[in-house]
Amino acid sequence: MQSHNNLAVIAAAGSRKTQHIIDCVVADPSKRVLVTTYTNENLHQIVNRLSAGTGVLPGHVTVMGWFTFLLNECARPYQSFVLGETGMMGGLNFVGQRSRYIPKSRPRQYYLDRSKSAYRDGVSAFSFEANRLSKGMVVDRLSRMYDHIYIDEIQDMAGYDLELLDLLMKSPIAVTVVGDPRQATFVTNNAAKNRQFKGSGIVEWLGKRTKLCHIENRVESYRCNQHICSFADDLYPDLARTISKNTEITGHDGVFDIRKSDVQDYVEKYAPVVLRWDKRADTCGLDAMNMGTSKGSTFDRVLIFPTKPMISFYQTRDFNQAGDRAKLYVAVTRAKYSATFVLP
Amino acid sequence: MLSKIVIQNYRTFRRFKLDFDPKMNILVGDNDAGKSTILEAISLALTGRLRGRLLAQDLSPYLFHKDAAAEYIAALQEGREARPPEIIIDLFLDSKTAPAELMGTNNLLKANEPGVRIRVALNPDYEPEYKEFIKDPTQVRLIPTEYYKVDWLAFSGNGITFRSIPATASLIDASNIHLQSGVDYYLNGIINSHLAADERVKLTRAYRSLRENFAADDSIVKINEKLRGAPSDVSDRELTLGIDVSQKSSWESSIVPHLDELPFQYVGKGEQSTLKILLALNKKVEDAHIVLVEEPENHLSFSNLGKLVKKISDKCDGKQVFITTHSSYVLNKLGLEKLVLLSETEGFRLDSLPADTQDYFRKLSGYDTLRLVLARRSILVEGPSDELIVQRAYKDVHGCLPIEDGVDVISVRGLAFRRFLDIASLTGNVVAVVRDNDGTEAAEVQRKYAAHTAFPNISVHVGQDKDYKTLEPQLLKANGLAVMNAILGENFASEADLLEHMEDRKTTCALTIFSSDQTITMPEYIRDAVA
Repeated sequence: MQSHNNLAVIAAAGSRKTQHIIDCVVADPSKRVLVTTYTNENLHQIVNRLSAGTGVLPGHVTVMGWFTFLLNECARPYQSFVLGETGMMGGLNFVGQRSRYIPKSRPRQYYLDRSKSAYRDGVSAFSFEANRLSKGMVVDRLSRMYDHIYIDEIQDMAGYDLELLDLLMKSPIAVTVVGDPRQATFVTNNAAKNRQFKGSGIVEWLGKRTKLCHIENRVESYRCNQHICSFADDLYPDLARTISKNTEITGHDGVFDIRKSDVQDYVEKYAPVVLRWDKRADTCGLDAMNMGTSKGSTFDRVLIFPTKPMISFYQTRDFNQAGDRAKLYVAVTRAKYSATFVLP
Repeated sequence: MLSKIVIQNYRTFRRFKLDFDPKMNILVGDNDAGKSTILEAISLALTGRLRGRLLAQDLSPYLFHKDAAAEYIAALQEGREARPPEIIIDLFLDSKTAPAELMGTNNLLKANEPGVRIRVALNPDYEPEYKEFIKDPTQVRLIPTEYYKVDWLAFSGNGITFRSIPATASLIDASNIHLQSGVDYYLNGIINSHLAADERVKLTRAYRSLRENFAADDSIVKINEKLRGAPSDVSDRELTLGIDVSQKSSWESSIVPHLDELPFQYVGKGEQSTLKILLALNKKVEDAHIVLVEEPENHLSFSNLGKLVKKISDKCDGKQVFITTHSSYVLNKLGLEKLVLLSETEGFRLDSLPADTQDYFRKLSGYDTLRLVLARRSILVEGPSDELIVQRAYKDVHGCLPIEDGVDVISVRGLAFRRFLDIASLTGNVVAVVRDNDGTEAAEVQRKYAAHTAFPNISVHVGQDKDYKTLEPQLLKANGLAVMNAILGENFASEADLLEHMEDRKTTCALTIFSSDQTITMPEYIRDAVA
């Protein structure tokens, strides 16, 4: 059994989990490697780091987004097994939804829209089907192409993504997945399959596969100081507490709040990166980044324009009141030294 | 290495499949059988280009198979639903060496193999315009290729670039010499790809400095000084002469290869094509190298062809070579077993010929094996006199000479019948053997060919009665002394004397019989053979 070439790294924010991938990839140039992740932001980060900023990757490495991987390397090569025809599947329909009344027995309408683009929610299911109907050709092709597949931000995977992951783990390909269940701010698809394992449920899913995959927990954060770690940990009291390895003292360290009227002065003094929920948020005219987009980044200080539930959490430390706690977790843990909330 | 090709609706091929030999493929067929089309298709699938230009820029309705086009247009005009035809060229690569990235089932065979494909199909972006266009079917006379697009894909279904193909191809069309302002771009292209990257840079740099030196020459400096002082009627700026040193005028446009001090285009055409072929064969590349040679026998004398063929067979090691030819010599030398005979739907090979037969033809490479391979029907005879008599017999029955019907009468020496029948048993061409009984009962002689005559396309015709051993006694027997004397314009008293005369002058007598205007009774076995 190929049980021990798979590894899952479950890690806290700032534990250098992406760096772990970079280090492993660079260490052995004889292995043909695929690195994939869901968000473009993270993909750019990985390309940047692997190419040392040049954009030119080492020859043994391929980096592609999760959907590119699913479409180009899983679904499209063996589409004939699902669709009955070759060369039909076009691009990706990221926003469209299939009609709920189309049964799976009509695969062309079920998986593809009118211009033959694949519905996002169906791509991984399609890939899984193609592999099943072709008696394993999808996985066989991948195992000829890659010795090792790294998947970053595994908590974004959902539905049939997990079924595919299961197949990959059972294949000769070594699979390493890294992620933080607390940072499940995005999800690749909204399929009903494996709904219970969505987001932070990934830990439970992996927990059922200990024979297939070695699980490593990383509780050290090299980014955030202990104040920030502890505040963020309160959002997920069920998971292991994070230990900070950042002991730097700057004179303004930890989690704070300020009034809207003090924002200008504060920004001038500390020059934080401003984080907001989305562009509708009032950020007092400051340039800001969406919390979801900030995933994977590191900043010295952040200034957060919180949503109402986030304010409740800040005041009560009760995670039930926090709303989308993943986004709040991401926002707070971007900061090395200070995370400050703007209260009305 | 390329393992096979499948073509749909491209030029002469409606639906075509051919497996390749990993080393040498000799494509043979009648004119218009599609030999060149196959080379073109291979090169197109490997480079995305047709004669050096992107296919998308050169797309024309005439690239489509004419029946496919006709059916489509007929269907439109009869108001039926018609799918616009697609051109597909699927080139399969060897699954052991080709990268798995190129794998998938997006090919006409739906086989899980690595490969690349060219697909020319209706562009979905133009679907509304196309629908508008076909609303009036009477104006559709050709396939509307302006609404088409060209995809260059791997069998994975994903687009590819030149770099992702693990093979390079050189197409050598020796019959065409492409000259543009005195420079054979095509040849320079071959030379260019033959040079290492740093050599190419050095050449470009040397060429540039040559042009720069031109401006520094004393006489040019003086001319430029004079020009500077010229009255500025045209412009207020300074006017001087210089050579264009920009990128667009690269060395390819003005450097000409020389052979023994002679500029390349003044060298004989035969030498030119030989050089091109050898340059391509010499190319050292890491990837699999595909060499496509069109009719190497062009412009070459027999002895020079011999030298070239020798070099081709020596140098093709580690390369996959595709050659089209009309020359039996090329074919026999390079190996009959490498022959691919083209039909409309598939290529047919002779690699299952017995080893000794392959060897036989390679040694006696003057033999016209191609005639047998290409002729729909042939009659094999023992010598020149038999050949003439059989032709006459054919003309008596059919009213024209056999060659006018596409029937080839081939004179075969000694035991070679069996070698030729080995080929015929594979090709399925109709072959009749006409031979003497040489003093053995006809049935006895025929028994020796039992293995071959088991094929429905092969028949062996032997003169009856072992007392009439050869053609001449058989002819005399069939016509009698008086008639034979009259035909030959002789007056022999006995059959024995006439026979002696005939056997002494076999060919002369045969020629007289061939051109005689008298009625001749042909021996039964010859009549059977020409029927």
